[in-house]
Amino acid sequence: MLSGNCVYEQDDRTLVRRCREGDRAAFVELVVRYQKPVYNAALRLLRQPEDARDVAQTTFLKAFEHLADYDPRFKFYSWIYRIAINEALSALSSRKSLAEVSGEEVDEAPGPEQRVQGEQLNRAIEDALMRIKPELRAVIVLRHFMHLSYQDMGEVLQVPEKTVKSRLHSARQLLRERLLHDGML
Amino acid sequence: MTDPRQLALIHAEIDGELDNEQRAELARCLLADPDTRALRDQFQRLSKALEAFEEAEPPASLQDSILAALPQLPPRRRSSSTPAWRYAALIAGIAVAGVLVFETVRGPGPSATDVAGTIASPGMPTVLNTASLANGPVSGHISLYRDRAGLGLELEVRASGPVDVRIAGEGHTLEVNGLGSPDRPGGAPTRVALPGFRNGETVELTFLMRGQQVGTATVRVPVGQ
Repeated sequence: MLSGNCVYEQDDRTLVRRCREGDRAAFVELVVRYQKPVYNAALRLLRQPEDARDVAQTTFLKAFEHLADYDPRFKFYSWIYRIAINEALSALSSRKSLAEVSGEEVDEAPGPEQRVQGEQLNRAIEDALMRIKPELRAVIVLRHFMHLSYQDMGEVLQVPEKTVKSRLHSARQLLRERLLHDGML
Repeated sequence: MTDPRQLALIHAEIDGELDNEQRAELARCLLADPDTRALRDQFQRLSKALEAFEEAEPPASLQDSILAALPQLPPRRRSSSTPAWRYAALIAGIAVAGVLVFETVRGPGPSATDVAGTIASPGMPTVLNTASLANGPVSGHISLYRDRAGLGLELEVRASGPVDVRIAGEGHTLEVNGLGSPDRPGGAPTRVALPGFRNGETVELTFLMRGQQVGTATVRVPVGQ
């Protein structure tokens, strides 16, 4: 994925420039190019496919609407991933608020009885991910699922690389502890 | 308790960030301390398990729904004026049309006066979802949007006669009467505020002509919008 991003980078800027000039086909190309990683980032953060779909759609609509605000000195994918991560975190926050209002538990951690044989480790990791703070979950998603460098993660999250590393180490430590507790490591 | 320095080396190894000197340092630590070896193995297994996750395919409809919503949102340019005239014209059009909006007594919510008072709210809307109507006596386009005043629907309906629209959510029902009629040439869009509708809610629209159902559409309010 990382090498793919690098190959795309120059083309992305051209597409953005064409889009700003009113060429909608250029934006279609950006959607085709980035809908899969954006959807997957949202899915790993939210776990619910329907919510991930909503976040992906909103991400692209906001990107289109605010294309004039994009600074071409930075990578386009960092910018659109930032929108996606922020939208997903906002959706998570909203989901918790709705659950609090309705008095429902947020279904983020199905019990062991719901795990399917053969997918047990993946389920355990998904469960563990949903139990750590969203800001820590985000670094795991960016690093391990989207394969971004520390620098790119810093651009997406708008924090220094040092903070990225610190969050990544904390997130892995928490995941390790939870998986050990569940007997999965 | 593992030394923080050793822990940092283990994480750096996972991320491929070790130089030769650090690699040698980590090797010495692993040889000397079985606890550090066990810890490193656990992190390695965790990392491999994370990397093994397969990417999910986005829904086939995702791209279409994004592109369907795009015409509602021309990119803004700093150097040129925003299409505020479009919304001003829309508001004026709605005022002339005199569309009647009322809320039935089916569920809790604001009074009919409140609802009518929020039609064509000001501000630049962001389109959240869209749906189309085709292959029937009624055709057109529905956009769910949010602006400074909250959620709303923009209804662009074309038909041979007046169309009534029943808009239903969880405990809310609104009706808009007289869309698509000959005194609204070209299917001029109508905006309807949706007070009381919440994130994650499904908005169901039923289109009626002379009391008979002639079409339906559904749009969902995204979570977190």
